[in-house]
Amino acid sequence: MHLRPDELVDLAEGARAESSAPHLAVCEVCRGTLADLRATMGDIAPSDVPDPSPLFWNELSARVRESVAVEAIPRPFWRDLFAWPRVLVPMSALAAAAVVIVAMSVGSRTTRPALPIAATEHLLDAQQIAEDPSLGLVADLTAEMDWDTAREAGLAPRGSAEHAVTHLSAGELRELGRILHEELANSGG
Amino acid sequence: MTAADASLGVLDERALVEACLAGRDGAFDLIVERHRRPVYQLCYRFVGNHEDASDLSQDVFLRAFRGLRSFRGQSSLATWLYRIGVNVCLNRVTAKTPLGRATETIDDDKAFVDDRIESASDRVLRAERASRVREAIARLPRKQRATLVLRMYHEMSHQEIAEVLGSSVGAVKANFFHALGNLKRILGEAQ
Repeated sequence: MHLRPDELVDLAEGARAESSAPHLAVCEVCRGTLADLRATMGDIAPSDVPDPSPLFWNELSARVRESVAVEAIPRPFWRDLFAWPRVLVPMSALAAAAVVIVAMSVGSRTTRPALPIAATEHLLDAQQIAEDPSLGLVADLTAEMDWDTAREAGLAPRGSAEHAVTHLSAGELRELGRILHEELANSGG
Repeated sequence: MTAADASLGVLDERALVEACLAGRDGAFDLIVERHRRPVYQLCYRFVGNHEDASDLSQDVFLRAFRGLRSFRGQSSLATWLYRIGVNVCLNRVTAKTPLGRATETIDDDKAFVDDRIESASDRVLRAERASRVREAIARLPRKQRATLVLRMYHEMSHQEIAEVLGSSVGAVKANFFHALGNLKRILGEAQ
């Protein structure tokens, strides 16, 4: 069994005498590895880092002092919040998701034709109204309202017959009147 | 040195750190003053030029200031700063300038060579070999590189390196062994 790396390192550095490792005497592989370690360590010549200017040390201290002083100034909490990548990234993802949802919602509203009253009545059930306070308020305010009051208040929804009639131009109204007269005459009324 | 600085000077490391945390003026300055040279030298070993080593040293101390509360005194302040320094340097070297790509010429062996007996051609050859070794070290895996730099250039014990790198002495020796093996291989490929 060959010598372990830590044993070879100790031998190469002289922390351990070769005599304490009798395996070396009989193992050419370990002797070769040990020789390589020593040769490579010899290639890494000891060296000093060039000393910088004597003025540098005080300059470094001053720079550190300045950066520490900036660090110590309390900042508004939201700056840290938004500078914090772990918060910023999920928030960006949430914002992107919100934009997509809004875009899809707006897109569906613009492409889907408005439903007649009979259809919209089925879209809002009692549970939805109970869950949404704003819908509940509207429901309370309009509970006693009859069709005439609603029409006078301009509450006829876009796409309904009331809305269409109340938004016709003078020419369109004349044409509508003519058609109705024809239909009444044809029906014998 | 002011009277306040003088009184700080007698404090041991732990007390000095506590003085910093208490916001005592000059306490952190004193820590910087005591450790700036070895921190700078460590950074220089990794990046090989003064400008980057200077920036990295500043970064090391700034991070130390931020994390001062986490210093428990289980290792020496020097070891703790080395740990921060190694992390800062490894991240920086990986992200930016590899050791071997240093732009500044390093006359590494100036202090150890007697110019009177070494010829100009010998100096050139030695400088070239030193440059090849630096480039080879820069290509080592991160932990191996850190271990080699701390062991060979900072002459830290395996125990101290283990504390800096947060590993065991056995792991440090194994890293050192593999670093030397890889260094030999890389140097062989370059020839």
